[in-house]
Amino acid sequence: MSYPPEIASQFDIPDLEKDKLVGEVIRYILFKTEQNSGCPIRREELTQLITAKGYKQRNFPSFVIDEAKSKLSSIFGYEMRELQRSRPSAAANTGRASQSQQSVGDAKSYIIISKLPSDVYGKFVEDKSSVHLSGLTFVVIGIIHLAGGKITEENLWHHLKRLGLHENEENHPKFSNTKQALEALVQQRYLQKEKVNGPEGNIVHYELAERALDAPIYDKIKEYVAQMVQKDATPLEYD
Amino acid sequence: MAALSWRHHTLIQSLLSRGPLKEDDFASIFSQLTVKNSGSRKQQERKLFNEYLKKINAEFSCVQLELRACRNQYDGHVYYGVVNNVEDDQSKLGTKYTVPQIAFYKGIVEAIIHDAEGEGCIYNTAALNIRLESQVHGATDSQSQGGAVQIPPAFKNFSMSQKEKTLDQLVNDQWLCSTPEGKIGIGVRSFLDLRSWFRTNEVPSCEVCNEAAIKPVIGMLTLPLYRVYSKGYLFFGSRLSGLAQLCPNEACNVRLHSYCLEKKFSGQRGEKVCSGCGTQLQGSTVKAELVEEITNADVHLQNSQQAESSRKRSRRSNREANADIDDTGDDSSLTSATMSKTKRVTRSSGRLTSSCKCCFSANGSLADFVVRCWMTSI
Repeated sequence: MSYPPEIASQFDIPDLEKDKLVGEVIRYILFKTEQNSGCPIRREELTQLITAKGYKQRNFPSFVIDEAKSKLSSIFGYEMRELQRSRPSAAANTGRASQSQQSVGDAKSYIIISKLPSDVYGKFVEDKSSVHLSGLTFVVIGIIHLAGGKITEENLWHHLKRLGLHENEENHPKFSNTKQALEALVQQRYLQKEKVNGPEGNIVHYELAERALDAPIYDKIKEYVAQMVQKDATPLEYD
Repeated sequence: MAALSWRHHTLIQSLLSRGPLKEDDFASIFSQLTVKNSGSRKQQERKLFNEYLKKINAEFSCVQLELRACRNQYDGHVYYGVVNNVEDDQSKLGTKYTVPQIAFYKGIVEAIIHDAEGEGCIYNTAALNIRLESQVHGATDSQSQGGAVQIPPAFKNFSMSQKEKTLDQLVNDQWLCSTPEGKIGIGVRSFLDLRSWFRTNEVPSCEVCNEAAIKPVIGMLTLPLYRVYSKGYLFFGSRLSGLAQLCPNEACNVRLHSYCLEKKFSGQRGEKVCSGCGTQLQGSTVKAELVEEITNADVHLQNSQQAESSRKRSRRSNREANADIDDTGDDSSLTSATMSKTKRVTRSSGRLTSSCKCCFSANGSLADFVVRCWMTSI
């Protein structure tokens, strides 16, 4: 692969080496995504992958990451979406002037998302055996969204129980351990969890994290929830 | 080369997301994506299909992946998947299995290979009774000089219930399979990458098809753990199919798959003799129908893998330049054991230079056409 001369000249590194490094970054992203079930990959990890090989040139990691992004798109049809890590609102507000719930993040991370149209994805790509996970994700995000973006653990499980999911269930036919299934959403950065000191002791809160707040996803969730709520509220109008 | 289109991306993502797909399913996806005229001839569609694969693999080369086909030796179906070509630090990440789980998997595969019945599968109970300690290099070596071999606590404490869960997971993920008789066999994913493993371990190839031809393994065959990390590599002894033959002459390195033997000498008069030393070869017991079926599959795989040979030549020259190919720095004891034991059970590994005359596929596995399969679920 040949790089634009004005960019290639910035770094005194042969194209072959750059190609190899870009390939390694892509492989890291693919394999890591598989290993951690889609949890965001910190930019720091990718940077370290590059600098650990002795490439200390300024802006070189950014160049390689951008190239990897481009190839993931052209070869695989994946978008390498950048997320900004959000902090729990309680932590953001402590001892400081009040902040919006989505406080400024302090770390970039990446997820890969298919760029295929949703109908094509649904028909040819979606793994039907794991749709229950998507369903759980949608339901949990929807509940927290309707709760204003933040909910206590107790309240969340109260709603999930109504859907047949119990907090201490370890042998659910689809999710096995339901608590772990919820925890996975925290790892994948759809949710963030925080313990808050309250009058009755520590209370765990869940709120939406950067992946759920990412515009395309958040907008879709709002749209679907609105459709469902509207349908429930006005059933006769559909006749 | 022009960028891949959304159709290529769909094919790739379907394999990554859904795992190895049966040929019919994959072909169906392809047809739905590409066929414009319902009257397209099958031959044209096949040609287009091969072009798609070729284009995808050309792009994949920069990330050391490959889209290939493979035959499941249990049901005979051909599967397509994406396979990892290189064992590196990145690919070692690509597994959710823990070290004891991988050791357990290895133990199962070895048990299948060494099964006295040679059926290519073992009972569930036999799988559950596999001891992980046997996967630690030197742990069962009676020749060891009395030095204590450290068995990791995780190996010792790997409970029966963990084994059961792991076995279910491995079957679910298609690393192993559950046969109709309720036994445990090798899964589709495990069939994949045999070629790459054979290439790396210099397993001699079949004289006819250049696929690796493995005789029944005698003694402990250890599988490098890191192979499984890449979700592709698995070694399979020919006892699964019983279709590989060595030349009866001990000094001769020629080996052939039984069906290749049949194909080579079909229609020829006279005795079947080894092309290397002239020793008379035993006849194959492979049915004619299977030979024909495999021949037809040969043609397809040959068409889709012509690029493989150039990559293979380039890798071979790299391998010769880098004498130590076993330098993973991870589980090196198992790795070196594998290398040495592989060399012991195979003959001289010097004959990896023959190009495919028949099926022209990469380092094959056994008698069937191994293709690769890869990691899934993105």
